[in-house]
Amino acid sequence: MSHSPDVELRLPAESAYVAVLRMTTAGLAARLDFTLDDIEDLRMAVGEACALVLEHADPGGDLHATFDLSDGSIRVAVSADSSTDDDPDQDSFGWQVLTALTSDVLTSREGPLQWVSFTVRSSIAA
Amino acid sequence: MSDPDLPGPESVAESHAGAVADAGAESVQASVHGANTGPRLRSKRRAPLTARQISTREQSHALFVELTDAKTSQTRRADCREELVRLHLPLVDHCARRFINRGEPLDDLIQVGTIGLIKSVDRFDNDRGVEFSTYATPTILGEIKRYFRDKGWAIRVPRRLQELRMTISSITGDMAQDLGRSPTPREIAEKLGVSVEEVMEGIESANAYSTLSLDAGDSNEDGSSTSMLDSLGMDDEALAHVEIRESIKPLIEQLPTRERRILMLRFFRGMTQSQIADEIGVSQMHVSRLLTRTLAELRVSLSEVS
Repeated sequence: MSHSPDVELRLPAESAYVAVLRMTTAGLAARLDFTLDDIEDLRMAVGEACALVLEHADPGGDLHATFDLSDGSIRVAVSADSSTDDDPDQDSFGWQVLTALTSDVLTSREGPLQWVSFTVRSSIAA
Repeated sequence: MSDPDLPGPESVAESHAGAVADAGAESVQASVHGANTGPRLRSKRRAPLTARQISTREQSHALFVELTDAKTSQTRRADCREELVRLHLPLVDHCARRFINRGEPLDDLIQVGTIGLIKSVDRFDNDRGVEFSTYATPTILGEIKRYFRDKGWAIRVPRRLQELRMTISSITGDMAQDLGRSPTPREIAEKLGVSVEEVMEGIESANAYSTLSLDAGDSNEDGSSTSMLDSLGMDDEALAHVEIRESIKPLIEQLPTRERRILMLRFFRGMTQSQIADEIGVSQMHVSRLLTRTLAELRVSLSEVS
């Protein structure tokens, strides 16, 4: 993430906080006038992306989330501190869900951070 | 229900309800029954009232007269109230049973239903010419339903949000029809005259009703665990019973009063043969014989019908 994102959030890397992230995402999408269906997809995608990065996350670490907002689309990236070299399993159910619900799914490594990012576009965007 | 002992609208004994409605003064009751249970209750069949039914109704009436009498002492009044509540406890039991298997223990439902009964006793106006049970039934049902609304949620959600959630979910369907796509929170907010934040809050609260995962195991005592997913998509067995019940109904009406009463106590009140024997004043052996004979007769006439 070279440029600075529109929204940044840092949370404890625990699954209990994923709900907070999902809710935040839904709030942002509502601001962008996504439809309820889009918001549900986005919510689900965030949950799956978090599950993917949390799988290899170091205990006691942080969960980072950044959001890039534009008219009719939202790009979400989540990452967690991970001292393992394991990448998210692209054969996993979670990855399948993520690629089905969103576009441009990417995974990348930035130092200790394992990123998963994706874009969701509003279905009524021009 | 004119009498708390009656197993109620879903039961074979509903001919009683019809009979009571026919009796004249209870036209209100007939319409209440009709509203609750559909047209089949409006059948005009006559069945004799059993001695106990009359006595419960009269007892209830007499107690209310005494309760509202200005000359009645404070202590006697409390006794009357107590007795009235006790007298109608079977009605609560019957109402609560309608909500069985919905995830709340029956005892809890009976408990909240009893609160509804107590409220009804306190609010009932004897001069209106309405049967008490007619008045009490909706109150008891209302109390039980409210319990489901308030306590059925895994996370306590304020009523304002619950109502908002219901409004949102109903309006979402309508708007999706009009728009040809799912609406945005802003569109919903404009339609409802609330803020986008409130809409989001309402949607969020929808996730709080039950937090149990579908994959959550329902471990039984014998150790075999079935997930909730396994329990989905079942045929409603009760539906098949409707047909049987409808065909058996006229047959049961033809039974002598005592036989019918025994059937009712055994299969609707769930009493044992010995308890029925005590209630009716005959031996358990005799109850057993009567039951066997009645059931055999019913089976024969049912196979003749179909």
